[in-house]
Amino acid sequence: MTETTTTPATAPRPALPLPETAARGLVAVGGLATAASAFLSWTYSSSFPGDLTVTGYPGGLQWVTLVAGALVLLFALSGYRIRGLRWLTPGGADGATVIVAVGALATTWFTLIAIADELGGLANLTSGGWIAGIASLLGLLGALGLPRDRTESGEKNPLKRILAYPGNRPDLSPAPALPAAVELLVIAVAVAIGLGIFTFGIDTSYGELFGGFLIAASFASWALSRSGALGRLTDITGRHRVYSAVLAFVAAAVFPFTQSNDANATIGVNLLIFGGTALGLNVVVGLTGLLDLGYVAFLGVGAYTAALVSGAATSSVHVTFPFWAAALTGAAISGIFGIILGAPTLRVRGDYLAIVTLGFGEIFRIVVNNLDGVSGPNVTGGPNGIPNIPDLTIFGFNLGNSHTIGGITLGRFANYFELMLVFIAIIVLIFSRSSSSRIGRAWVAIREDETAATAMGINAFRFKLLAFALGATLAGLAGTVMAHVNFSVVPDPFVFAGPVPPNSAFLLAAVVIGGMGTVTGPLIGAALFYLLQAKLQFLQSYQLLLFGIALILFMRFRPEGLIANKQRRLEFHEDETESAELSTAGA
Amino acid sequence: MHELPQNLANGLLLGATYGLIAVGYTMVYGIVQLINFAHGEIFMTGGFGALTVYLGLGSGTSMWIALPLMLVGGIVTATVIAVLAERFAYRPLRNAPRLAPLITAIGLSITLQQLVWGFYPKAKSPRVFPSLPGGPFHLGSITFQSADIFVVVAAIASMLFLAYFVQRTRTGRAMQATAQDPDTAKLMGIDTDRVIVIAFILGATFAAVAGVAHGLRYGQVSFDMGFVAGLKAFTAAVLGGIGNIYGAMLGGIVLGVAESLAAGYIEKIPGMSQFGGAAWQDVWAFVILILVLMVRPQGLLGERVADRA
Amino acid sequence: MTDTTIAPGTGSAPAPGTPLLEARGVIMRFGGLTAVNNVDLTVNTGEIIGLIGPNGAGKTTFFNCLTGLYIPTEGQVTYKGTVLPPKPFKVTQAGMARTFQNIRLFHNMSVLENVLVGRHTRTKEGIVSAILRGPGYRREEADSREKAMALLEFTGLARKASHLARNLPYGEQRKLEIARALASEPGLLLLDEPTAGMNPQETRATEELVFAIRDRGIAVLVIEHDMRFIFNLCDRVAVLVQGEKLVEGTSEVVQADERVIAAYLGTPYEAAPGSTADAGSGADAGSRADADSGSASDAEGTIPEEDEQ
Repeated sequence: MTETTTTPATAPRPALPLPETAARGLVAVGGLATAASAFLSWTYSSSFPGDLTVTGYPGGLQWVTLVAGALVLLFALSGYRIRGLRWLTPGGADGATVIVAVGALATTWFTLIAIADELGGLANLTSGGWIAGIASLLGLLGALGLPRDRTESGEKNPLKRILAYPGNRPDLSPAPALPAAVELLVIAVAVAIGLGIFTFGIDTSYGELFGGFLIAASFASWALSRSGALGRLTDITGRHRVYSAVLAFVAAAVFPFTQSNDANATIGVNLLIFGGTALGLNVVVGLTGLLDLGYVAFLGVGAYTAALVSGAATSSVHVTFPFWAAALTGAAISGIFGIILGAPTLRVRGDYLAIVTLGFGEIFRIVVNNLDGVSGPNVTGGPNGIPNIPDLTIFGFNLGNSHTIGGITLGRFANYFELMLVFIAIIVLIFSRSSSSRIGRAWVAIREDETAATAMGINAFRFKLLAFALGATLAGLAGTVMAHVNFSVVPDPFVFAGPVPPNSAFLLAAVVIGGMGTVTGPLIGAALFYLLQAKLQFLQSYQLLLFGIALILFMRFRPEGLIANKQRRLEFHEDETESAELSTAGA
Repeated sequence: MHELPQNLANGLLLGATYGLIAVGYTMVYGIVQLINFAHGEIFMTGGFGALTVYLGLGSGTSMWIALPLMLVGGIVTATVIAVLAERFAYRPLRNAPRLAPLITAIGLSITLQQLVWGFYPKAKSPRVFPSLPGGPFHLGSITFQSADIFVVVAAIASMLFLAYFVQRTRTGRAMQATAQDPDTAKLMGIDTDRVIVIAFILGATFAAVAGVAHGLRYGQVSFDMGFVAGLKAFTAAVLGGIGNIYGAMLGGIVLGVAESLAAGYIEKIPGMSQFGGAAWQDVWAFVILILVLMVRPQGLLGERVADRA
Repeated sequence: MTDTTIAPGTGSAPAPGTPLLEARGVIMRFGGLTAVNNVDLTVNTGEIIGLIGPNGAGKTTFFNCLTGLYIPTEGQVTYKGTVLPPKPFKVTQAGMARTFQNIRLFHNMSVLENVLVGRHTRTKEGIVSAILRGPGYRREEADSREKAMALLEFTGLARKASHLARNLPYGEQRKLEIARALASEPGLLLLDEPTAGMNPQETRATEELVFAIRDRGIAVLVIEHDMRFIFNLCDRVAVLVQGEKLVEGTSEVVQADERVIAAYLGTPYEAAPGSTADAGSGADAGSRADADSGSASDAEGTIPEEDEQ
């Protein structure tokens, strides 16, 4: 069997040499104080959005600090091995505590610095603000004095060493299943919390709030992942897959009802379109490993097709299809383009596909631009595209009009949101079913080792073409909804890289950074990129630059993406596996 | 059809520029199987580097003095960026699955574009590039500018240098060896890391020359000039046979001529009257790529890539 | 695209002794190098045939010619009387499965998933069926899993079905490769150095496994260096030296053949003292070879038992 001869694990020393009781106390007090400081006023002037001038009630970004501080306190208490909190940190509390303490510091100081920057100087901070800053710092100092519970990973790279300070989550043996009713309840609570967080994120009306929220959410997620809590949750949802998925969709469907106006539903529906398209790309890139750099063109094909058959006045095709027919047509035409493009290119060296798809992406835009009756026959209306696409009427409901259900008004975009949600459900279904089947196994086998895959009887060309065409089809499907949502279709968005998603680079990033091959990964990646772009408007001119830098950094430090299924993480960190050594018998 | 020679000449000049960029793509791909997506931006920064030197020299400097300095400036800029990219972005990912360095390259490409767009003075729209004095010259029915002479000279000189380098110098032969079989090359004592850096440097040098050529011919440089040029250049590299440096230049020329002829003559084909001209030029280039892949995927002169089974 | 030229192989082969695989005059040239030179080989049903020879003799290349990875420059390979199309997936479909010299498992998939991939060619549910998940799909999946688990039991890996392939110890990885190959229900199994790197117990276990495979009606063609393993196992042994088949016959015949001894030990048979180069003696021996089986030998000596070269 496997013999491991590792030296006895000696934990590395904490960054600050504090006695353990002192450290723990300091973190707990720091967390409590940080949370409490949210109730104080941080600034004199109400020019900073969110009104942080009130003592006794948190406002705006103070809510974020409140939650962050509370989390620090929670993790710190869990470090005292209090029985009731064991569910939070099955993998060890101390590493997670450090993470969340950094997060609390980061978001609090972000707020304070934003106040100082926008209002012109540190003098604008009241004593409450200073208290918040100091409290969060104390919390971090205490956390840095906590014992470290993992062995030194031997990382040479100094930046990676810092990131590895909290250690890696230990491989936990699966916990025994709780009674089913309890587990279902847990899932429901988690979904509700998720919905709340998501709604808060979309609802943020000013960039600073979103920035602080994002910082806190990122560190909180990391901490929960490190502590093993997220892993346990994943185990539980894994046991009740269908229920979890249904509940998630119900929660998403409820989302528009929680909004008082249609603005956030607009963000929501665009996010869904982006996410659905990313899932389609996930089949091509994530499962099968094909390099598709021009994917947005398939979205465009679907959109233009839907526009042409929608009965729009300027459409050169004078038909009006019922929606289901338009959707199918858009998907089918897109799929056909996928086959046309894939058939010659998938036979040859894989890297060529990258350049061909990139070219196709560019050519698509040029062609639809040219087919305006002047440089070419008038099919697509050229730079003006096809405007005034009529709204859809499904089962008598005109999606363009507001409807009132149970006293809550759903505007135009909310209606389309619900429609797109149905499409997402379909795409998720197709994706998860095909990936867990014989077909999906063949795709992954091709990606892992094409020679071995063909030796097992897999017709690699056929399956690559299938993946490519399926991806194109799903994108086309999403495109048909997009055409109606946006009232019109123009060539401009279908570029390789640009400030506004979806475009090919963003789609690729959503899949790769979200987590290739998983269902939730691309959706979360898409949400992240879309919201970052939509919410951080004050960074507008730097957004693309930051995007490029983010790509480089992610590939350097976490190439498997945010939601990594274990296989991909292993693929990318082959030389760093800590798990049981292989015993090589004989030679 | 007396415009045919002119069209051919234009195509040749266009293609020579493609070829200069393509050579860099193909060298890097041949050795490390990396599509250096950011190579187009290296081309772009070369042009901007040259422009910076020119602006620094002050107006009134004769182009005879300025041009060599501009070339140096462009080459230095481009090579520094290329070396940094190789060392910090690509080298750590050398053993990672193919997708990771590709995404990195895309990120780098976007980053470089945005850095120029955001931080180079007035680069949000194209910036004027100096032109060479003299000309236009006439050769039979062909008219060409001084910049065109520069392109021809640069292309020929580059290919001659490259041929000499690859076949006659130790480093050049080491590069060939590494391209064919990196593991054995290492066993033979070749410092493959150094070879790879040199490949990047050479590629960046030629790209920078192409950047200057582009600026001279079109009278401007812009932050986004690298994207389409890079795409075309990689097409040219594939056309000629990936990994094959002579193929890259040949592919570039073929592509340039084909584009030029398509722009000029497609519309004369009955039924295709609306598909010619500059608007469709890029489309035809792409169609050519697809056809070549279908008919002769190893390219005109054959691939030269290590088999990394 | 799925038309098969022959019916898929099944576990129950036709009557023992009928020709299954016939390779005639197979020649494989790479440029100037002839890796396989005019090799004939026949494998009948119910047989275990061994293929031995010094390193570099062309054994794996010959395998690759049989399985469609290479297209033989000349010669013909037929399976059950039909010439196989030169595509590996079609060869497997026809009923020939193989393992690889350097283990090529799907490392990041589980043990069970690896074997399930092996079942690919004997299952047919497509994308539509996978999405709709009708009763036909469910039945086929359940059936595949059952068969896969049965194969894991057969090879002793059932306990580790959900482990990642890369976490298996080396010997079990080899067994997994065999299980995966068996999943395609071949009539002929090609094993490429299945006991490389194994200790004597593991080798013995592999021997028994191969016998068990033969007892299931599957013929086996094995490349190996471990002589004891080969001679215990095989009904017939063919010796490949420098791409040519030197001799073929039963274990006793081959063991005693001086040319084989010479090829392995480099002991010159009639050459001058001191010339011990393998290549030299191999060429000498080869020039006297009638490439056929059954040549009587003086039982001067048998090849000393080697575990591994």
